[in-house]
Amino acid sequence: MKEKLDALLKEGAAKIEAAQTEAELQEVKGALLGKQGSVTELLKEIPKLDVAVRPEMGKAINNVKNLLAEQIEGRREALKLKASEIPADFDCTIPGFQPKIGGLHPITQMCYDLNDAFRSMGFEVFSGPEITSEYYAFDNLNFPPNHPARESMDTYWLEGHDSGSASDKLCLRPHLTGDSVRYMQTHKPPYRFVYPGRVYRNETTDARHERAFFQYEALIVDKDFTYTAGKVMIKSILSKVFGQDVPVRMRAGFFPFVEPGFEIDMGCLVCGGKGCSVCKHVGWIEIMPGGTPHPNVLRAAGLDPDEYTGFYVNIGLDRLVMMRYGVDDVRLFHSTDLRFLKQFN
Amino acid sequence: MKLSLNWIKDYVKIPDDMDLTRLAYDLTMSTVEVEGVERLADRFNKIIVGEIIEVLPHPNADKLRICRVNIGEEVKDIVCGGSNLEAGMKVVVACPGAMVRWHGEGEPVEIKNAKLRGVESFGMICASVEVGLADLFPAAEEHEIMDVTALDATAGTPIAEALDLDDIILEIDNKSMTNRPDLWGHYGIAREIAALYDLPLVEFEKYVPETTEEYDVKILDADRCPRYIGAKILGLSVKPSPFEMQSRIWRVGMRPINALVDITNYVMLATGQPTHVFDSTHIIDHIEVRCAAAGEKLQLLNDKDLQLSADDLVIADAEGAVALAGVMGGAKDSVLPETESVILEVANFESRGIRRTALRYDNRTEASSRYEKAIDPERCDQALSMAMELFAELYPEMKVTAFKDLYCNKLEQKEIDVDFDWLDRRLGKRIPQDVVKAKLGAMGYEVTFNEKGMHIIVPTWRSTGDVSIKADIMEEVARMYGYENFEATTITTSFDGAINQLDTDLVRKIKEYLAFRCNMQEIFTYPWMSEECVNALMPNTDGVLALATPPSPSEKYIKSSLLPNICKAIVKNERNFDEFDIFEEAQVYLDKDYTDDYPGEKLPCQKKHLGCAFVGNSDNISALFRRAKGVIGMMPRYTHMEGYTFEKVEKPYWADETVWLNIMLNGKKIGDLALLSKKAALACGIKVLSAVLVELDMDALVPFKSRTNRFVRMPEFPMNDYDLSFLVDSMVKWDEIYAAAMSKNNALLRDVLFVDEYKGKQIPVGKKSITVRLVIGSDEKTLTGDEIEQVANSVLKRLTKTIGAEIRA
Repeated sequence: MKEKLDALLKEGAAKIEAAQTEAELQEVKGALLGKQGSVTELLKEIPKLDVAVRPEMGKAINNVKNLLAEQIEGRREALKLKASEIPADFDCTIPGFQPKIGGLHPITQMCYDLNDAFRSMGFEVFSGPEITSEYYAFDNLNFPPNHPARESMDTYWLEGHDSGSASDKLCLRPHLTGDSVRYMQTHKPPYRFVYPGRVYRNETTDARHERAFFQYEALIVDKDFTYTAGKVMIKSILSKVFGQDVPVRMRAGFFPFVEPGFEIDMGCLVCGGKGCSVCKHVGWIEIMPGGTPHPNVLRAAGLDPDEYTGFYVNIGLDRLVMMRYGVDDVRLFHSTDLRFLKQFN
Repeated sequence: MKLSLNWIKDYVKIPDDMDLTRLAYDLTMSTVEVEGVERLADRFNKIIVGEIIEVLPHPNADKLRICRVNIGEEVKDIVCGGSNLEAGMKVVVACPGAMVRWHGEGEPVEIKNAKLRGVESFGMICASVEVGLADLFPAAEEHEIMDVTALDATAGTPIAEALDLDDIILEIDNKSMTNRPDLWGHYGIAREIAALYDLPLVEFEKYVPETTEEYDVKILDADRCPRYIGAKILGLSVKPSPFEMQSRIWRVGMRPINALVDITNYVMLATGQPTHVFDSTHIIDHIEVRCAAAGEKLQLLNDKDLQLSADDLVIADAEGAVALAGVMGGAKDSVLPETESVILEVANFESRGIRRTALRYDNRTEASSRYEKAIDPERCDQALSMAMELFAELYPEMKVTAFKDLYCNKLEQKEIDVDFDWLDRRLGKRIPQDVVKAKLGAMGYEVTFNEKGMHIIVPTWRSTGDVSIKADIMEEVARMYGYENFEATTITTSFDGAINQLDTDLVRKIKEYLAFRCNMQEIFTYPWMSEECVNALMPNTDGVLALATPPSPSEKYIKSSLLPNICKAIVKNERNFDEFDIFEEAQVYLDKDYTDDYPGEKLPCQKKHLGCAFVGNSDNISALFRRAKGVIGMMPRYTHMEGYTFEKVEKPYWADETVWLNIMLNGKKIGDLALLSKKAALACGIKVLSAVLVELDMDALVPFKSRTNRFVRMPEFPMNDYDLSFLVDSMVKWDEIYAAAMSKNNALLRDVLFVDEYKGKQIPVGKKSITVRLVIGSDEKTLTGDEIEQVANSVLKRLTKTIGAEIRA
């Protein structure tokens, strides 16, 4: 009898623990303590027992009964806390509410990323006027008179300001480099600054050419600055923007306002330099021209080119952004199409 | 530009084991960008010479034949529809795996074994156009297959070998050498390679005329034509040039024509110096180089009829223009089928004039694109020497009967002094002086050492603008030494204070506030405005600047306001969205207040503006207006700048009669916030939606030097909200209600907030219902219901008294 009782307690406890819902628990309770429950059946057997052991057994059975009842109530409480008050048909796959989200233009985003990178290296941010004289757009920058870029087929001259001397002629700036002279004229060397902005060219547009596009120029002017230090600078900036170490190479290139001039390539991040369709199978992507400011540019800024030198780069922002996101048509940047712009938020 | 490596090897001995990838890389790094390196023979992979043994009819097709063709090791049946098939003929067979263009069109496709009308065919017998050889083997008619019977090649020989096409073609990016007129021919690149690898370069022998007879050449404008060589050559005829010459011309992308024309093209491709031949029987009396008379007529070789400008330089004879100098010959006087004698022209023309003329007639040519880079006049000697050699080789009977080298303006060679000390400092490295001298010498510089450095005479071919200062010399040394051979150096810098740019930072703060806090989308628009929107939004275009050559006639004006383009953006997005908020930060330009901040120029007024549009359905203008006012009103607080106020001073032209405000800072109007009038919206093309527009002069905004937020202790005792609804006359403004509610200085009344405004059903006409929330609380204790009620009652009493408020029944 005693053993039977022990087994019953053990078995009952296991059944109570196994009950996962209140209904199951109720069933277990019935099976143990109900009218035909196993414990109740045992109690019914007491009169059949020897009188001497009756009180002891009765006590023992009642003890088991109480223990089980206690466990059942404990389990009931636990199940109650575990249960959800929400109906089981609640659908967790329903999409969330979309927060209304605005955003900066993808070009602004890239520009700010670069600003942060350059700022961290001690560069100032400068911006100049978009309408400039021919003097600042070309003459100061060592463009020879009658350089093809000065022609109206390349530059947007202003009506009524498209003839006369270089100081009289006004245009929408065809590049940012003129602004570097403005900065240098109004500040004291050594210089370390960036001057991002939009520039304008009178040309036919297609997926790769725009009339208005963004450049990001950086200039250091100091005594005895070597081009190899410039390479270190570019590498640092690109690595910061792309979040990984970016191989950089500089090769011969020509631009009127630098001497020597470079084409600067970065290792293709898509294929890791092995060659793919993005880098036209050469492993390198041309991303910016750069070089040492031409002595005439430094002179225009009032500096002695024998004393000062420096390093200049011109990052094509549109192109960098196109690379970042895989955008295949540069004209989208000015499309004002929110379906396009919202993709970058 | 395409270059043949075999051709380059005529002038510089490149070792046969030279790694071509390395060569392309070195050229790219030091001189020009090599975009491609192509093994010419690869184009003709699995294309071989076959010999037709027998031509049999095709059982199922009239136009097809079955050819039994010896392809070397074996004989195969090939089905072919060629019109000129014959036993014994040698043909070009594309074996399975070869790439050909069907009928010379479309992308190359791979040849496979196939059944043609039920007959098995091994590969394909090709027409010249199908294997890209039509320029060398032109077909007389469409179905003619390429006949190579004349070749000394046995069946099975690869066609590339049979035609001696074992060559490498380098493709150079033209943009990378616009500053290098000396590189626009094989010889120029050969010179760079010679300098790169210290290899010897072949020199041209100077041509010495045998005849003493002078050809009559007159130069009337020596500035435009510094040098003109004319030579009359007899004993010629029009015939095909030798295959090797044709092949070279074809390899680098030009088309062989006939021996006379081919010689001129060959010389140009070799030296970079264009030349021309005239049929001498058509040149009347003499040649003169002059500017055209305005309106003078000339028909070009490509049959374009030109009415010349007085700015065009022409070659003329006694009767008139015969060629557009440096651009293209005339149709009448150049080589004709019956030509037997020519005037050979080797001349130098001023670059910019040639460019102007070529662009004027949209007629850029191989010649003009070279001249416009500024060729040095000395190069005429090389071209003349080579041309004469070729004439003699192709026409052993030829005779020069008159010759003239009129060289009016000699080119001045640039001379530059370079200190070694300076060079070392700039390079950041000392390169041995003999290395410097050797590299410069290989490129044609004459270098003599002196006390401090070296004196350098620049070669003529680099003296036309390319090299003129010592920085140029430094570049020459650095690139030949190899940019990659310089060690990276760290950037040295002095620290003199943190960068503090309040204005720059404010612009960014504003943009980030609008984008990230107010959920607006930034847009960019062009600086030119569409006339439609300009007319809709501006009373006139006084003071608006315009472009001399606008992108289109209706986009002449450039931004004096950001709003016209923003309206255009609304039109564009209205199709896809029915509610959106956009903003743009950009410069505006005004034809007034000219400034001279920088020496040497006066610039029109240019300001940074902010433009915004809050766009939504027309049924709740109040909500739209409040959205805009909330964003702009809170901006100073969240971007840390001096606050501004809204006042009604001057209605913007484009604004609705009622819904408009000006933005005022220190008594000055700095912007507007208003509902776009229905009339203006329609005129812009905005069909359905309504827009509240904002334009603000960002230059007028004043950033705080530091943040001005102040900590306020949280109230110790609860603040109580008490809502109050009442009716007032519908013309009563919120400002008046607020002023009235707050007019008595009651310490317990903390604030009065706007909750709601309602007009409509149940509200008498001419009235509106206003709900306000009173914030009531004390610093000393928790207020009782009675105390709160008392404050509210006193407010209501004041409102009743001052603005006639009445509690809604």
